[in-house]
Amino acid sequence: MSRTATQPETDYFLRKLHSLTGIIPVGAFLAEHFWSNSYALVGRVEYDAKSLELQTIPFRVAVEWLFIFLPMLYHGAYGIYIWLHGKSNVSAYPWVGNWLYTTQRYTGLIAFAYIGWHLYTERWLTHGRSTYADVADLLQNPYALTFMFVGVIASSFHLGVGIWNFLCKWGLAATAKAQRAAGALGAMVGFAFSMVGVLIVLSFWLNWHPFDFYLK
Amino acid sequence: MPDAKEVILRIKRQVSPKGTPYWEEFALPWRPAMNVIICLRDIAETAVTRDGKKTTPISYDSNCLEEVCGSCAMLINGKARMACSALVDKLEQPIRLEPFSKFPVVRDLAVDRQFMFESLKRVKGWIPIDGTYDLGEGPRMAPETQEKAYPLSRCISCGSCLEVCPQVNHHNKFIGAAIVSQVRLFNMHPTGAMHAKERILALMEPGGIQDCANAQNCVKACPKDIPLTESLAEMNRQAWKQALVGWLIG
Repeated sequence: MSRTATQPETDYFLRKLHSLTGIIPVGAFLAEHFWSNSYALVGRVEYDAKSLELQTIPFRVAVEWLFIFLPMLYHGAYGIYIWLHGKSNVSAYPWVGNWLYTTQRYTGLIAFAYIGWHLYTERWLTHGRSTYADVADLLQNPYALTFMFVGVIASSFHLGVGIWNFLCKWGLAATAKAQRAAGALGAMVGFAFSMVGVLIVLSFWLNWHPFDFYLK
Repeated sequence: MPDAKEVILRIKRQVSPKGTPYWEEFALPWRPAMNVIICLRDIAETAVTRDGKKTTPISYDSNCLEEVCGSCAMLINGKARMACSALVDKLEQPIRLEPFSKFPVVRDLAVDRQFMFESLKRVKGWIPIDGTYDLGEGPRMAPETQEKAYPLSRCISCGSCLEVCPQVNHHNKFIGAAIVSQVRLFNMHPTGAMHAKERILALMEPGGIQDCANAQNCVKACPKDIPLTESLAEMNRQAWKQALVGWLIG
């Protein structure tokens, strides 16, 4: 390395893009997705109305590819590339941060595989017109139900740790105190998302709508 | 002394950089206040293994014996530590000694940490003060800055932060936390700051700061308690600002 760089190289930008896409748009989409799916907790009709609203937005295909599919594909594929360039040593150094480093890779892979399957069953097979009944039918299969729980928790965990990583790695939480706060924030997000995700799955599985008293 | 205590060591040895590693076990008479370096010196006196075979003294680096030179870093019972401050009475026996795994072995426990010095050169880890004429005194440094800079200046380039980092390995040449922290130190200095941009750009080259994955092992392993994760966060912020603002307005 003898020359002096005049501007950052591709490697730097690709890595930062991976980090950024995890929060925006992938993390933001997860928040939106959990929000709109929680309409199942109100009722079947409300869920279907919310779904139809999202399924009939203008420029739908462009929005899906630009803000959901491509960023997820990039985040997942580049994430695997990063994984292959790291070497976990959590058995020698079992510190919390090191455990999170390792679990972040496994939860990422689980979430990536899960989202692929989830897209196939709920987006592809239903031609983009998935309804409450489609999801409820699918969840009668115990394997699908298990995968749904695992996928929801893995995605939530990955986002929670990702928020902590993001705040540290962009220098937004720079002091030790700020990094502890960022960790607490990530933990809260991970926990809250897991809880909401599990409730939504239970709602479809048990035909259980705890917020249906609004309508009575 | 009744029931003379023994100290048992298992040492991973290697005769040359390309040699095959092998283990030898040693038994030494216990003495008060022994550290790992004293054990290695005692072995050199007799150079006999536990089962009575004649062998060669162990090769290792050491110098200051008070945790300020950074040369005696090695794996002690599987953990990156300084041999001079590793007290035998506080270690589980047999004490396993291995060379650092992230650097090429020269012989036995001695490794070649040239990679760190090359990285320091890459990021211009110094403060240029020479001119073709007397440049006079440099700018003064605020006491607040001095207080932040001092802990960073304690780095001894021992390589422990690289050794424990999952992102530093044979297929990823991440420069490591120590180097990033040194950039922060030099950029914080009022004279060093005159070359801040060059150092930040060097930090964004392949193997640079972007390879940090926030496992935060470095700060746990640092024998000098340097706030390495704060340095990484701080330099990460300076780097993306340079990448973004540099591209937009130069």
